[in-house]
Amino acid sequence: MSMTRRVMALLVLAFTARAVASAQSAEPATRDLDPLGRLTDASRYQIELILDSARVAGLPTAPLESKALEGISKRVDSRRIVVAVRMVFRSLRDARSVLGEHASPDELNAAASALRVGLTRAELAHLAQTRREKAITVPLVVLSDLITRGVPRDTASQTILQLWQRGAADDDFLGLWRGVERDIVSGTDPGVALLNRAREVPSRVPSTPEAGSRPEGTETRNP
Amino acid sequence: MTDDLNSLDPYVQWIVAEARRPVYMDASGEARQRLLEALRAEPQPKRERFAWLLEPRVALRPLVATAMAAGLVGIGLIGGLLIHRDGRQVDEPSAHVASSQLPGSIAPRAVKFVLIAPKAARVSVVGDFNGWDSSATPMTTQGGGADGTWTVFVPMQPGLHTYSFVIDGTHFVTDPSAPQTPDDGYGHRSSVVLVGGSSS
Repeated sequence: MSMTRRVMALLVLAFTARAVASAQSAEPATRDLDPLGRLTDASRYQIELILDSARVAGLPTAPLESKALEGISKRVDSRRIVVAVRMVFRSLRDARSVLGEHASPDELNAAASALRVGLTRAELAHLAQTRREKAITVPLVVLSDLITRGVPRDTASQTILQLWQRGAADDDFLGLWRGVERDIVSGTDPGVALLNRAREVPSRVPSTPEAGSRPEGTETRNP
Repeated sequence: MTDDLNSLDPYVQWIVAEARRPVYMDASGEARQRLLEALRAEPQPKRERFAWLLEPRVALRPLVATAMAAGLVGIGLIGGLLIHRDGRQVDEPSAHVASSQLPGSIAPRAVKFVLIAPKAARVSVVGDFNGWDSSATPMTTQGGGADGTWTVFVPMQPGLHTYSFVIDGTHFVTDPSAPQTPDDGYGHRSSVVLVGGSSS
């Protein structure tokens, strides 16, 4: 190697070292581009482990990442974020074990929320057994909200299950939710509000020949 | 072959013999010496100072070079998609978002968020669709904010989404017109929106 080449190689090395040093000094800017970089190293490591476990189990990782980012946005302590992410992971795993491999990510997410709010695995399984090719996402979202607003868990789960078995559609559940929410704001007891509003939801189960001469799919009002 | 030569005319035989006779050029090596001296005396072409940097050191087969180039292009494309997926482009026109998605994906839908907050100086919406970044999706008021109605349209992928409003950068509030999630583990609740109906 000639003298010129040696000098050039040294210059290249010097520039490379300077670039590395600059990159290290610019670490805060890099962290801004990587939201999880705001966690402590230990917390981030634990969350990465949870994400890996979810991938191995075939669970959606989006709810877990969202939960971590939500905590960062709310400036929550890193350790609490890890606890919250782990709680979501466990509920997703429980939901998957009940709903099975074919449940959509939305269903899993909604079922995980319902389990976290107190729905039992047996109640969730009962709901899932009567799916009839329909997604149970909206009923579970409404159920979780109702329990959150103070409707007793048993009342909420039984009412939602009955409506579900009667073929209630997504719009029915959302309409039910709006009515109950208005009644609660007006001062009605949450459980009573749900029972009252549930009576207004039409049954959409196809009529059997023995039940009468109604054409299939005709709506019937509950008493 | 030899028999054939013997049968030829003697003059022809002589020509053939002369043609076959090895020719020794400058057996003493003087010509070689002169050639080398002439080459040494020839001035060498001036070399560019940094030409050695540009000289190819590794020879690649065309197929390998093509594969490497395709790989670099692929890395660039994947990087672009990841940057887009993090939600920082969410406030761009929805047409731009739709045109940049992969073939076969489900088109995003514009969802209108509304919050009435008369005393707020600034409001934004955060959620799983923008990485819970409070600066990503600011909401705006009409008419100078006299009625305190803050709105924003957000292109969102179909599915279940969790979100919250942020007032003045620090105060998280739920959407009163949407179902809520249970306590998020941080002492707050969030709201839920299902875009595009249920998926089974």
